[in-house]
Amino acid sequence: MSNLNSLFEGFASALTLSNLGFGLLGTFLGTLVGVLPGIGPALAIALLLPITYTVSPASALIMFAAIYYGAMYGGSTTSILLNTPGESGSVITALEGNKMARRGRASAALATAAIGSFIAGTIATTILAFTAPTIADLAIKVGAAEYVALMLVAFATVSSLLGTSQIRGFISLAVGLVLGLVGADLQSGLSRLTFGNESAIEGIETVPVIVSIFALGEALYIASRFKETGWNIIPMKGKAFMTKDDWKRSWKPWIRGTFLGFPLGVVPAGGSEVPTFLSYALEKKLSKNKDEFGNGAIEGVAGPEAANNANAAGALVPLLALGLPTSATAAVILVAFQTYQIQPGPTLFLTNGALIWTLIASLFIGNALLLILNLPLVRLWVQLLKIPRPYLFAGIVTFAMLGAYALNASVFDVQVAIAIGILGFLFRRYGMPITPLILGLILGPNLELQFRRALQISAGDYSTLWASNLSKLLYLVLIIALLTPLLTRITRKLRRNSDK
Amino acid sequence: MGSLFALGLIVFWDTYRVEQPAFNLTISPKVFPYAIATLLISLSAILMIKIIRGDVAVPEGMEAGEVVQASDYKTFGLVLASLLAFLLLVERAGFVIAASITFFGITVAFGNKNHGRAAIFGTLFITVVYLSFTKFLNVPLPAGIFKGLL
Repeated sequence: MSNLNSLFEGFASALTLSNLGFGLLGTFLGTLVGVLPGIGPALAIALLLPITYTVSPASALIMFAAIYYGAMYGGSTTSILLNTPGESGSVITALEGNKMARRGRASAALATAAIGSFIAGTIATTILAFTAPTIADLAIKVGAAEYVALMLVAFATVSSLLGTSQIRGFISLAVGLVLGLVGADLQSGLSRLTFGNESAIEGIETVPVIVSIFALGEALYIASRFKETGWNIIPMKGKAFMTKDDWKRSWKPWIRGTFLGFPLGVVPAGGSEVPTFLSYALEKKLSKNKDEFGNGAIEGVAGPEAANNANAAGALVPLLALGLPTSATAAVILVAFQTYQIQPGPTLFLTNGALIWTLIASLFIGNALLLILNLPLVRLWVQLLKIPRPYLFAGIVTFAMLGAYALNASVFDVQVAIAIGILGFLFRRYGMPITPLILGLILGPNLELQFRRALQISAGDYSTLWASNLSKLLYLVLIIALLTPLLTRITRKLRRNSDK
Repeated sequence: MGSLFALGLIVFWDTYRVEQPAFNLTISPKVFPYAIATLLISLSAILMIKIIRGDVAVPEGMEAGEVVQASDYKTFGLVLASLLAFLLLVERAGFVIAASITFFGITVAFGNKNHGRAAIFGTLFITVVYLSFTKFLNVPLPAGIFKGLL
């Protein structure tokens, strides 16, 4: 059965009334969390994880994927109209987009962002549909030792490329690994780090941790360190609309952004900041209207927005084909899979083919829905910013507590959630990135499993870990990733010295 | 402050190290924890040196307002108290009461002035959430003192 056939079958099952309904709900919620500053897609999906107990896997995953895509559309709206990016991938958009809005070109900026996101998302999802199964086929031959190397590479890149401080990234990762250790060891039954607490033997549930590190950590942090200042919304007239000239200037940046964003999503390069920034730099270099950059150049919105969406689709490739999340949102989606006892990875397309093709088909549908939802309704979304902040956070916090408790109807999970919330506060206060922690928590147990499996096969001989060529290559990548921040610092210093 | 945080983790790990060894397996379940412990201890040591040499932690920026320089521990405490109220009340008094108190506490912490409206809205909202989770999504939540009523 060819991929194309499977994709058509996926469309058939994604277009059933209930799946379409969940997709629509997801696009709606995704745009909502994208628009509202302070809540991201990772938090939104984490808050909704309890529904996995009653809703079918296909419907839930369709909804989560739609939230993932939708948050990016919503994020660009606030970037442009408010100059406050709702999520990290929209930071660059705010540079030119907000300037455009101030010059009265808000509708063109919103249109190029939405249409660019749609085009990039559609192209990138098409590439995803045809590369992910191929990569999965190749990955089936990958052994336990190579998996260990692969996970270490993902750890290293996410920890060192994210945030400003490499060492803080790694500390965050290590804390995540520690949390992953808690509970009875699966192979020997040895209790680790439980300190005699019976509830802890089953381990720390990932769902309450993720929910509380985002929701409670954020609430504690904002409550104690920020004053409400109110929004400064740039008024917008009419619908999102582009002139002929805007189209002419936008389509090339869209395409370039797509092909920059997708591959950088596939390799764990630390989220959407890098590709959006590179796309911005590229458009600035190639543009004929260089002096317009900094005053609202449409290319500076079109390129990064496309890169952002293509990057999100690219991140789904390692998630589906290898079971490796490369961003916080992807990690939460991985947890959603796991609550259904589905392990993403090389065998996913064989064991759950129908489900995955439905998911991919729903990405196309979700993208189209988002375009429809965002172009004419932009002004409606902006109204959402009038929700008073106390109510917004009260809602988020109570939902987080509900999620933590409802999972196992356990007070222990609520205790863990509150403790993790305080940890999340400390992380934000002391500038530690959160994504490495999530990755460590989720992948840590898996890493240990593969590590021990590899060593059991080799009867305890550690050299098996770097025996194959693939592992050697991966460890080389690992070393490069570790040294990159150091090297950039040295070159910067050298350049500064030569300037003097 | 950052170094204290790291220090706490080291102590935490030291206590761990004295746990009794496990029985025989090709790879003992202690190998992996030891690797993580070593990693964590060396990393926090490096971070402490860096902090002493002047690498100051940069608090995360936010989009939603102006930064207050020193942390406001009164509101921090209020948020935390609201969370603890949920923890203590959820199984004793039921979800609706516990969550309504949490909701109200958070609105106060975030500077809401109209307390009456917040309390009424919060309780209504929580009741709707409770009913939709228990009735439509079949997620059981403790009814507490309203048992049989809701």
